[in-house]
Amino acid sequence: MQRRSAARLGPLLLLLLLPVAWGAGPEPPRADGELQVSSRLAGQAARVALHYLNYRLGSPSALRALGQVRKATVKTIPGIGHKYYLQFTTEDYKSSQNVGTCLATVLYLKRKPRPAVNINCTYTKDQKQTREDDYSFYKKLRQQTKPITGNDIPDSYGHIEPALEPAWALAVAGSSYLMWEKSTENLGYFMAQVKNVKQWITKDDSIDFDYLVILHEIPTQEMISCHLRVIWTPGHPLKVKYFCLSENQQSESEEGSGTESGSTNGIFNEEEANF
Amino acid sequence: MYQIKESSSELVTQHYLGMTYESRPMYYLKVSQPSNKAKKIIWMDCGIHAREWISPAFCQSFMKENYKTDPKIKSFLQNLDIYILPVRNIDGYIYSWTTERLWKKSRSALVNGTCFGTDLNCNFNGSWGSNSLTFCGTGPESEPETKAVARFIEKRKSDVLYFLTIHSYGQYILTLYGYKTDLASNHQDLVRQRNHAPCQCKGLRLHELCFLSFSNVQVEAAEKAEVTLKEKHGTNFTVGPTSLVLYKNSSSLRDWAHMIGIPFFYTFELRDKGAYGFILLPDQIQPTCDETTTAVMTIIEYVNQKYFPNSAVAVTSGSLWLWLIVLFTRTLS
Repeated sequence: MQRRSAARLGPLLLLLLLPVAWGAGPEPPRADGELQVSSRLAGQAARVALHYLNYRLGSPSALRALGQVRKATVKTIPGIGHKYYLQFTTEDYKSSQNVGTCLATVLYLKRKPRPAVNINCTYTKDQKQTREDDYSFYKKLRQQTKPITGNDIPDSYGHIEPALEPAWALAVAGSSYLMWEKSTENLGYFMAQVKNVKQWITKDDSIDFDYLVILHEIPTQEMISCHLRVIWTPGHPLKVKYFCLSENQQSESEEGSGTESGSTNGIFNEEEANF
Repeated sequence: MYQIKESSSELVTQHYLGMTYESRPMYYLKVSQPSNKAKKIIWMDCGIHAREWISPAFCQSFMKENYKTDPKIKSFLQNLDIYILPVRNIDGYIYSWTTERLWKKSRSALVNGTCFGTDLNCNFNGSWGSNSLTFCGTGPESEPETKAVARFIEKRKSDVLYFLTIHSYGQYILTLYGYKTDLASNHQDLVRQRNHAPCQCKGLRLHELCFLSFSNVQVEAAEKAEVTLKEKHGTNFTVGPTSLVLYKNSSSLRDWAHMIGIPFFYTFELRDKGAYGFILLPDQIQPTCDETTTAVMTIIEYVNQKYFPNSAVAVTSGSLWLWLIVLFTRTLS
């Protein structure tokens, strides 16, 4: 019983200690103005914007990663939060080739759990090609008579089996939704690995996957396991549900440490993107 | 390591550093041109965090350099010895191969064997305990791996010029200090650094100038390295002080290095930028090692030229800095 209450207290203490823990490092800017392009907070905000973009586009062939931040400014909106104004280049997620530039705003709200993003990008890849690539992913997956299953993608050595590529790419797209929701001004995420994937064969047109993904949380360096359910039809918004576990098995029932926002605590989050 | 030692036995020797928690021997390689001259030391270590596999891969690759034939290497080996510890966290590294790919810490058993591992980066005796985000051991230098490195370096601290620690991922070259203009805008940081600066321009009221010149050299070297690195395969790295670019759990090692007075301290975060992260694609391993070697060599050459000017001293606008740095070297030794 005592351990349980300690587990309850732990996350709260961690939350209180956060400002102290980051005393030696950069805190959210107290002063408004231009940020150095190499600053962690600028990169963080840019990545949040890209998580949102990758989720909204819902295209496994057109996933984007952050290239370089070209300009970043931040403004405090009293009583609301911090708003970042960003200009950055993007790279193709798989090939690292430059694929365009984005202008974005990211508003970290004090009261709501997830950042509000506005993003506009140029895209230098052939969009007809990416649509065709998406469709051939889709066809391959629809043609499965036996559901796809897999573990450790990529494997320890960085290999991704060609047959599991589409499933992995969809995991990145689905995780983008989850990472967007979980990101805060100070906490950022990368998808480290797909631990487990299982396909559900559906009677309708959709592709349905169940995943266990591992997220890398920065700057805490924690690895967070999340169950992810992704339902995809090309040309339609992704449907994503998720449920994250804390790394510490003892506080599993607490649904994560105090550094997580309230919206992931033990409930399924379902979001239908508004088009 | 044995093969390399054997093939270049007059230059390369293998030495015992200490034992890990699980009683595995830690060995480092020493690359040294035999001579009567007293040398300064470059220390490079890899494999601190188990899951960062590209790090030991890089140290292995670096160990295979052509020490005998490469003229640039031969030139700085006249003044510098290189010490390479290819894996600091051997137990954790093995565990990440056999059991859990994304393991980070060591494998020391705590709480009656129900909890394992210390983050070896924050286990040093510098601001120990200020990091509440990860487990840094039961006390400063509580882990045998840390003690082994710390004891070794501390014994030779007046000779250690250059401490390089290799991690992934992120594509950064992290410096201890920033440029003087950056320092001016972060007054608190400047005050803290000034008080602990290993720069002792005795007899001169140029303390701040000395410190700033030295910190600028550190950043300049890193920026030069960033350029040569990019020339190799087009990869973009970011250079900056850790406090700005990345708050990582390495403040204890950094502060310790700062305290004992190591002039050039760099943390490298190798490829990639997060798309694959710790589990880097195999075809990126060799290019990453190549470009990182280029960067490290650039820094070594730059520091070598600044610290050990040849008889034909280049008369440039930087000669004042050079004079100060030479003075600094003398006061250190």
